[in-house]
Amino acid sequence: MAQQEKDDASGQQADRSLTMSRAMVEAIAHEMRDNNEVFYMGEDVADYGGIFDSTEGLLEEFGRDRIMDVPISETAYIGAAVGAAQEGMRPIAELMFVDFFGVAMDQIYNQMAKNTYMSGGSVNVPMVLTAAVGGTYNDAAQHSQTLYGTFAHLPGMKLVVPSTAYDAKGLMHNAIRDDDPVVYMFHKRLMGIGWLPAPDGPKTAVPDEDYTIPFGSADVKREGADVTVVTLGLHVHRALEAAENLADDGIDVEVVDVRTLVPLDTETIRDSVAKTGHLVVVDEDYRSYGVTGEIIASVAEAGLDDLKGVERVALPDVPIPYARPMEDEVIPGTDDITEAIRAVRGRE
Amino acid sequence: MSANDDRVAVETSDRWPDDADETVGVVVNWFAAEGGHVEEGDAICEFQVEKVSVDVPAPATGTLEEIAVGEDEEFKRGDRLAWIRPA
Amino acid sequence: MAVNELQEMYENMVTARQYEERLQEEYLEGKQPAFDISAGPIPGELHLAAGHEAAGAGVCQHLRDDDTVTAPHRPHHVAIAKGVDLKRMTAEIFGRESGLSGGKGGHMHLFDPDVKFACSGIIAEGCPPAVGAGLAAKQRNTDSVAVAFLGEGAIDQGAFLESLNLASVQDLPVVFVVEDNDWAISMPKERVTDVENGAQRADGFGLHGTRVDADDAVAVYDAAREAVGRARDGNGPTLLEIQVHRRMGHFMGDPEAYRPDEDKDAAQQRDSIERLEAELRAHGVDDETIDDLRSRAHDRVEEAIEWAKDQPEPDPDNAYEDVFVNPPSGVTDSEPSTADTGGDD
Repeated sequence: MAQQEKDDASGQQADRSLTMSRAMVEAIAHEMRDNNEVFYMGEDVADYGGIFDSTEGLLEEFGRDRIMDVPISETAYIGAAVGAAQEGMRPIAELMFVDFFGVAMDQIYNQMAKNTYMSGGSVNVPMVLTAAVGGTYNDAAQHSQTLYGTFAHLPGMKLVVPSTAYDAKGLMHNAIRDDDPVVYMFHKRLMGIGWLPAPDGPKTAVPDEDYTIPFGSADVKREGADVTVVTLGLHVHRALEAAENLADDGIDVEVVDVRTLVPLDTETIRDSVAKTGHLVVVDEDYRSYGVTGEIIASVAEAGLDDLKGVERVALPDVPIPYARPMEDEVIPGTDDITEAIRAVRGRE
Repeated sequence: MSANDDRVAVETSDRWPDDADETVGVVVNWFAAEGGHVEEGDAICEFQVEKVSVDVPAPATGTLEEIAVGEDEEFKRGDRLAWIRPA
Repeated sequence: MAVNELQEMYENMVTARQYEERLQEEYLEGKQPAFDISAGPIPGELHLAAGHEAAGAGVCQHLRDDDTVTAPHRPHHVAIAKGVDLKRMTAEIFGRESGLSGGKGGHMHLFDPDVKFACSGIIAEGCPPAVGAGLAAKQRNTDSVAVAFLGEGAIDQGAFLESLNLASVQDLPVVFVVEDNDWAISMPKERVTDVENGAQRADGFGLHGTRVDADDAVAVYDAAREAVGRARDGNGPTLLEIQVHRRMGHFMGDPEAYRPDEDKDAAQQRDSIERLEAELRAHGVDDETIDDLRSRAHDRVEEAIEWAKDQPEPDPDNAYEDVFVNPPSGVTDSEPSTADTGGDD
């Protein structure tokens, strides 16, 4: 793992780390300075700076026309983003919670995602759809989902899920510059918000200058020889924690952070499984018909002989419950990941 | 006169939210590490008091020599959070 | 308005206000000094309705147990006025097993079928189901009505607009109650909605629309009586917009940095409970009676909270239950169906 390189060239740059939200905001601000046609629309993104800090500080620099509060009208404003994008602008539209996609899904999956194809490529939709995802803070069934599988499954949208500040900035630069629609999911627990403390891990060194991370490039966050854990978002950090714990027991875990679901870096995943033979996939989305099934299938298709054991760790197929003991039960914890790693090793 | 008199203190009194009754805050994030180079004006720390988050800019350019109040630690208004040795 | 009705409304409003203030205390406990939303006895989000009481009480006083109410994420005052089981509701908010949903729903997803109350967290999503309850009443030829509560932010949402039209074109017994507190989290109404009087939306969709100010709880009561009566008499839906004031932040933990002080102060000063109390006295109700009402409200709130805090937490494995009322057995039934599948006669 060497994707983070401190810039020593100038010598006088600040050695700073950023929270994931600040890194995202930095990328957005840069792109907005660079191009007048980039603008951000969403609920409470102006004065409030985004409920999850996604636009913190931007109103002051860019004003209300470009950091735009919109009515609670997802169909209208996300559809408007599609239209503005088709006019050549580069809007970033925000779903305050990914769970709100339901009220506007037609504009998302039938317009944003399909107009390029349905037009035979004569029309493109260079917009970003940002969305806050994830649970672990007792916000219950309608405010705690990730829905990675739902969005990854439908053709026509690229899908990125950063797990660190460094990844968040690079992926955001790439997302805004991409001429296709990109769904950018940021996990609430990773943003570094005061009232929703992040684990250690998402706050990283972040270069001052702009840089891009290509889509379809998974990142091996921890190298290991014995078991491959493929995961994303919050669970990258829980997997790393499990790996640390297991190192004491002589189990060497490799943690692969997919970073993007569409496109998926199957090569890195398959190479890892070829090395370790054991695959655990960890997902904060519902188990059935989702990310875990997809990743395992893609490995099985190309590398079945390498695969000695498979485990999936995901939310069960239940709506996310409110009360603490039940939410803790359904959202995979570090212990669940540790258990799965041990279990998969037991299969030879 | 000790060498420490040259150090610049990082503290929060003039950043404290106007309408906060509380005099106790919590450091939520450090954006620089001990030994790291900081630029005057850059946000190096974030603290929270009464649900409001506040950035603390570096009062000088130099090296962040010592962090006195770490992440998730409480402090009182006026406490020194860290020391910078100016460049 | 008869004195006993005034007293009932007052008691409901005071109960709601005291409830919200007590919940605020309980909620903030364990979240000091750094506000951690998932810490303490009530984790997660909490949206309190201090300042909205007249809307809940004024409308629900005209409703029966067989009338359906849907409410949004700021529901407690409506639930109290509708007669929701306060102990079980409180236990639900505290995430206990004896809560209304066994701890699965929490404060934004309270269901009490005994009084046909439900609330939910996606803006305007309660409107279509209320229309559906009205549809059922009409199909069954009963005179029950359905009421959908929503905030002024929700009048820009498609689900609301479609519901207005459907209720209107089918003459359904529905009342849409918009609680206008002027703020959709941090967005003031004038920034996101192009009409000052949301009741005007009714004109566009063919139903009756009225707007009242909750400073005068009696005016709310009167307007609600007319709207509920219209529905019950089979004369169709009404859009009733009620100006209320949000005395606290959008959710607990909201520092309201975006809100001008004058606006916050005005909300504190315009207290419909105080005004209703004055109205009671003007009707000859004495201090002792008022004190009794207040202390009854107080006791009821305290009892509910103490009871709830005493209840056990749910077993983690409960999380797997109640996805379906008829859970699939997982066993493939290999016997042929007894239905006649056609074929040669």
